[in-house]
Amino acid sequence: MLDLDRDTLTLGLLLAGFVVLPAVTYLLATPFWNEVAMRIMLLGLAAMGLNFILGHGGLVSFGHAAYIGLGAYTTAIMAQHGWTNGYLQLLMAMAVAAVVGGGIGVLVLRVTRLYFIMITLAFAQMLYFLFVSLEYYGGDDGLHVAPSRFVPFAFDEPGSLHLYYAICVVLIGTAILLVRLTHSPFGVVLRAAKDNAVRVRASGIDPQKYRLVAYVLSAVIASVAGVLFANWQQYVSPDVMHWTRSGELLVIVALGGIASQAGPLLGAVVFLLAEEMLYQLLFAIAPDANLAQHWMFLFGAMLVAVVLFARGGLMGFIGGKA
Amino acid sequence: MTITLLVEQLFHGLQSGVSLFLLAAGLTLILGSMNVVFLAHGSQLMVGAYAAATLIAWSGSFWLGVGLAILVCVVLGAMLEYLLVRHFYARDHMDQVLVSFGIILMANEAVRMLFGSGSLYVDVPASLASFVTILPGLPYPLYRLVVIAVGLGVFIGLYVLLRHTRLGALIRAATDNSTMTASLGINTAWLRRVIFSLGAALAGLAGMLLAPLVAVAPGMGEPLLIQSLVVIIIGGIGSVGGAFVAAMLIGVVDTLGRVMLPSLLRLLWDGAVADAAGPALAAMLIYIVMAGVLLLRPTGLAGRQA
Repeated sequence: MLDLDRDTLTLGLLLAGFVVLPAVTYLLATPFWNEVAMRIMLLGLAAMGLNFILGHGGLVSFGHAAYIGLGAYTTAIMAQHGWTNGYLQLLMAMAVAAVVGGGIGVLVLRVTRLYFIMITLAFAQMLYFLFVSLEYYGGDDGLHVAPSRFVPFAFDEPGSLHLYYAICVVLIGTAILLVRLTHSPFGVVLRAAKDNAVRVRASGIDPQKYRLVAYVLSAVIASVAGVLFANWQQYVSPDVMHWTRSGELLVIVALGGIASQAGPLLGAVVFLLAEEMLYQLLFAIAPDANLAQHWMFLFGAMLVAVVLFARGGLMGFIGGKA
Repeated sequence: MTITLLVEQLFHGLQSGVSLFLLAAGLTLILGSMNVVFLAHGSQLMVGAYAAATLIAWSGSFWLGVGLAILVCVVLGAMLEYLLVRHFYARDHMDQVLVSFGIILMANEAVRMLFGSGSLYVDVPASLASFVTILPGLPYPLYRLVVIAVGLGVFIGLYVLLRHTRLGALIRAATDNSTMTASLGINTAWLRRVIFSLGAALAGLAGMLLAPLVAVAPGMGEPLLIQSLVVIIIGGIGSVGGAFVAAMLIGVVDTLGRVMLPSLLRLLWDGAVADAAGPALAAMLIYIVMAGVLLLRPTGLAGRQA
């Protein structure tokens, strides 16, 4: 079973926090924070998938937002054609992500790590431009998504927590899956190949197969996040797969702590809260100046500082990793 | 589809290929000789474009403005290398990507603070605002021809620099084996700063030449940067010649694809399907070319097989 080190404990506490949050926001009458929490969970979910290949596989994918986009667009396009069965949409999105991710994975895994970053970025940009050019499905403007029907749940009912808890359940399930996988022989091979691929090959194991499966798995996780994202926002545009979104996912993983279990979720919490707070903070300092709309500059500077000085991310401080 | 249209688009393709080459040439040297993923190269293109727009307006002369702007790019590039980038040569690629991302966010926001979110427009210099008849019935803007010529000139200049000068030999040595170069007593810290500044100048030059052709806006460099990554992947990391061939290929394929694919597909399918699939396929074309090259030669056209 799970060994409860600090890392796994932090992950469990975070997940428990998300489960009880709606009760707190209900008592405080601040339902706005439920929306923030859903965004955090969705980004955290995709970041968990990314962390699996990045942290354990050593594969820096700079194109993971493309798979969120694939999931979201699969939902949107099926809904536009009248296929609103959510379970079917979810299956289809996962299949699409697996096929596209498999194809791209076979290509990108042929090259060295330096190329890997550039090629994942290039293919993500390809998918971005594909959806920009699909005028029939909204092109640049994107398209409205009719809510998926996950009988017996209703995601679109005003004030309902069905979608919130659906995201929670998927997040918890994915977290358990990834923790178990990390400690499984599969995870061991993946980490071993990151440290020394030659030795892994010498012991008769082909690391490429393991990397490909891991890459596809992380693409599928991102696409599930995309399906839920489309239901949450009820609108999809190519912006979900813009290259900066992929960059944000990398930042989230690094911020939380690469290769830790709790890192991606913790990173998502800190990243999105920082986004909210930084604007508020700058606005509070200089309400009349238009300083607050330039919060992105400060954010970039903080990112550079974090990379320069705080290696290991937040989980490096908490000390979950041996 | 007439032959005049085809030739016109071919020239457009070459011109956009030149911009990609200028961006990719510096980047491929930085990637090849320092093994560092520096993705904020597009910001240096943007800086070049903004510097040119400002200095042209200030000096009243296009060429004086461009000359001063190149100086600005080199100085800023050298400063960036000294203050930040040099600390990341020994770090892993993930850290390099993250710091690039931070620099991109800062650069775009700094430009918004200084110049606003709107676009700037730069006039084509009056002496180059005329047209040249390159085919009967096809007048082509002289400025775009000059851009192509400048690109060719830079390629030849880089070739001579790399093949026939001491500095070029050092850069090639660093690309082949950086550790060995350093152990032979070459000041690689200095060499890296020179390569980085050269890359900044080339990216800035690309931005300056593009300034009269496109809207000068925050974030203008990143889509071009990603295309130039495609160029580097196809050409092979570290190879300026490969980057040149790949840039021209990508420029022409992208431009011609957008014009011709929709009408070609209309021959195969009926109108509605072709109208939907044409632009979609054209948008993906250069990446499909990249995938093909990766399948056949994973290290690029000019890259050595690993």
